[in-house]
Amino acid sequence: MAKARDGVRPTRASSSQYYQIEMAAERSSAETVAAGGKEPGRRLYFGRETATLALLVLLAIVGFAGVSGLSRIYHAQQEALGNRWFTRGAADLKEQHFDRAVSEFRTALLYSRDNYSYQLNLAEALIGLKRSSEAYAYLLNLWEREPENGRVNLELARIAAQRKLTEEALRYYHNTIYATWASDQEVERKNARLELIEFLLGNNDKTQAQSELIALAANLDDDPGEHARAGDLFLRIGDDEHALAEYRLGLNEERRDPAVLAGAGRAAFELRQYTLAERYLQEAVSANASDTQSAQLLSTATLVVKMDPFRRQISVAERSRIVGEAFATAGQRLKSCFDAGAAGGQSSLGQEWEKLKGQITEAGLRRNPDLVEVAMELVFRIERQSSAACGLPTGTDLALLLIAKLHERN
Amino acid sequence: MNSQDLAVEAAAPERSRGSWLRSVFREETFFLIVSVFIGIFSGLAVVCFRFAIDWCHIYLLGTGATPSTTRLLLAPSLAGLVIAVLVIHVFPLARGSGVNQTKAALYIYNGYIPLKTAVGKFITSALAIGAGHSLGPEDPSLQIGASLASALGRRMRLSRDRMRLIAPVGAAAGLAAAFNAPISAVLFVIEEVIGRWTAGILGSVVLSAVSSVVVMRWFLGSESLFRIPPVQMERPSELIAYSILGVVGGLASVAFSSGIATLRPWCRALPRWTQYFQPAVAGLLIGLIAVLGAPQVMGAGYVYIDRAMHGQFTWQMLAILAGLKIVATLLSFVSGTPGGMFAPTLFIGAMLGAAVGGAEHVVMPHLTGSPGTYALVGMGVLFAGFLRAPMTSVFMVLEVSGNYSIIVPVLVANTLAYLISRGLQPTAIFDVLTRQDGLDLPSMEEQREEGILRVEDAMRAVGDPVLEGEETIGSVLGQADKASSDILLVRLSPTGWSSVSKEELQRMAGEGKSELSLNSLFMTRPIPYLHPDQSLDTALRFVNRWPLVPVVSRADFRKLEGVVTQSDVLSRYREFGEG
Repeated sequence: MAKARDGVRPTRASSSQYYQIEMAAERSSAETVAAGGKEPGRRLYFGRETATLALLVLLAIVGFAGVSGLSRIYHAQQEALGNRWFTRGAADLKEQHFDRAVSEFRTALLYSRDNYSYQLNLAEALIGLKRSSEAYAYLLNLWEREPENGRVNLELARIAAQRKLTEEALRYYHNTIYATWASDQEVERKNARLELIEFLLGNNDKTQAQSELIALAANLDDDPGEHARAGDLFLRIGDDEHALAEYRLGLNEERRDPAVLAGAGRAAFELRQYTLAERYLQEAVSANASDTQSAQLLSTATLVVKMDPFRRQISVAERSRIVGEAFATAGQRLKSCFDAGAAGGQSSLGQEWEKLKGQITEAGLRRNPDLVEVAMELVFRIERQSSAACGLPTGTDLALLLIAKLHERN
Repeated sequence: MNSQDLAVEAAAPERSRGSWLRSVFREETFFLIVSVFIGIFSGLAVVCFRFAIDWCHIYLLGTGATPSTTRLLLAPSLAGLVIAVLVIHVFPLARGSGVNQTKAALYIYNGYIPLKTAVGKFITSALAIGAGHSLGPEDPSLQIGASLASALGRRMRLSRDRMRLIAPVGAAAGLAAAFNAPISAVLFVIEEVIGRWTAGILGSVVLSAVSSVVVMRWFLGSESLFRIPPVQMERPSELIAYSILGVVGGLASVAFSSGIATLRPWCRALPRWTQYFQPAVAGLLIGLIAVLGAPQVMGAGYVYIDRAMHGQFTWQMLAILAGLKIVATLLSFVSGTPGGMFAPTLFIGAMLGAAVGGAEHVVMPHLTGSPGTYALVGMGVLFAGFLRAPMTSVFMVLEVSGNYSIIVPVLVANTLAYLISRGLQPTAIFDVLTRQDGLDLPSMEEQREEGILRVEDAMRAVGDPVLEGEETIGSVLGQADKASSDILLVRLSPTGWSSVSKEELQRMAGEGKSELSLNSLFMTRPIPYLHPDQSLDTALRFVNRWPLVPVVSRADFRKLEGVVTQSDVLSRYREFGEG
């Protein structure tokens, strides 16, 4: 390089390098002159510049101290203003004045933009105003910051459920169940799972609802209300055995709880355990006389128990009487159904009934016990076909239909 | 190692050993250290500036999100009166955005910006923005940083070269702290203020920007200006939607800059006494817009950009806000109220982007882009179209969003907006403002677009034979006699070029050197060579010292592509100037 300055070019040095060398050398010499003979690029500044550096450091320290003081005042003021507006918003949210709450939470956020609690409350106020898309945006932001937050996941799940985004809703509901909650973690998780089950039942996804319900049942406290709720849900998905088990667990805690008794009666009824159902329902009705549904169910269960000729430990005479009554009831049902205009197999059933009618007497049944089977088989067929042609019966006809189903299964 | 280092090393290799302290106190190294301090002081100043704006807002407009009608009307207009008095009588240089003043410091005043300007900018801008004028804090922060840096440089008696550079270094620090985006700040200052990249400048600018951002985050936290919602682009066909945004943004940019270009000189031409009232009238009109239902247009508006990104406005409302913000910013800026245009540009871009996205969603419901994605792209679009900083516009969006999946729509939309804006309004807004102020600062955009003459444009084919280094003087005399030119090129072995005149060859032959090879005689006096793609400016450095300069291939330095002489270069320049 030194040679270059003397005009001797090194091998394969390009013209741009040449130019840079020359220009730099010119600049260097010009500045050398200006600086009184010293090269500025290498000029040493020990004295003045050391002092300057020290002064700069000092100034920076003073500056930091000063701005720190201002910063403390500023942040304290911002926090106070944020809290003031948040408190107002929270009060309005509690009183369901969502519009005002939204405005106040937004103002609070002006002073603490990333405050998690402010944003979450704003999202809830927005949900209250049915502005779910705005709330969703806030919640997504919060979710990114704390994906394990239960409240955020739950709200997101609800919005997704509203929007019929099933997969998204399921994901957020599951997050909610395994998320962390500020307080009452177990209760919140149970409630989230219950909400998920309701969502699944709404979507008619009974299989998944059942598995969620079994998981829920495993973690229930000794609270009859909780068992009753679980039992109700089991009933809704058609899992009567689990339902009855839950009601029984509830009754272990509170034997006279009318809701649990009614649920247990209903479950036993669905399981065709009519004697048990009758017992539970009787207790339910006596505990809560205004429970008409249980009373109605009780009367049906009582009829089923009473009109079942195949039940054990009844005398021959009693059985003959029951069969006679059942035969007569079926004949009435057939007639009324025929009169109502139903055709099809009704006429042949009527002929069969007429043919058998003469034999269905107390004496006849006592003489020929096989007639019980024959008569009841005809009764069951009549009730089934009438039910199909003329709609679900009530009273004794319903009892007979249920008895038919009971023995059909057996 | 830069050219200067190279030169210094070449000039005095014996002095290259020095202690660590010596190297620290070399001016170039010392300048880097000073850059860090510039960043620190700028960061502190910008933090105070932010506090001042917020305090002005709280005390002038109240603590609520929607101030009362009285405050909405009185605060900006009364603040306007105070600002006018301050700008006219105390801080005349505080007027405007600050970008051009920093450029003027670099190109005209040798880096000089009075400290009083920083004080004036701080007070008047904080008052204006805090009172609700539609302006932003970024450009004032840029000027405050530049002014602080200039003051520091003067106290330290830096050399003129360093003094010129110190204002942009401070500008980058100020902008980085205001924007909380160091990459964008560095790019903007290099793209729009300095206009060139060198290692020395880049080092200082980066150090100052980073240190100012660190200081700012120390006091104000590291959150970006807006909370960025998840952004995505699932289908490439959606680029059409973003292209539409680019076109709309380009047209809006033209409308915005044309408004400023037309109204600013008109306002300045009004009688002098009106200048006392112009900011107040602008403030009153902005207050009126707020009272009539659009308080969002007041101030910098970052809160509302955030809300637009989170889908909290209908697309119709977003479009209205974009239009009203253009009007409000025009009013504030052309009235001479000090304050920046970055924030309003981002506001308009975000609103416009989200509005276009929302409208497109109505027409094409299958589009997956969220309002936030469109708002982000929209900000970049306006940045590219209005401020005409295409590189910064792309990096700004990426830096602010922290999401690179958005890069393709940003590139497409920004390019379209930039081209449309450039096509419809050839002069960039900063250049328009400079010329309105009676200055003639170099236009970075014009520089970027300027045609460059290259060596290949001036070189001509080689007509005369090239003498080979292995040949003897005696053997080449015949070739030399037949040559039309007086100077002949010599191809040296193994590499290099030299030249010789016919007369010199004959003289050497007469001196009895006929049997000597050309290599042995000319190896010690090589001449430089050029490549066809080099700029003609480079050739100009050589052609006055060497009558004939060879132009050789980059792949093979011995392969001659042509030659160039001083007259070739000058005539090419003449033709270019006439053309």
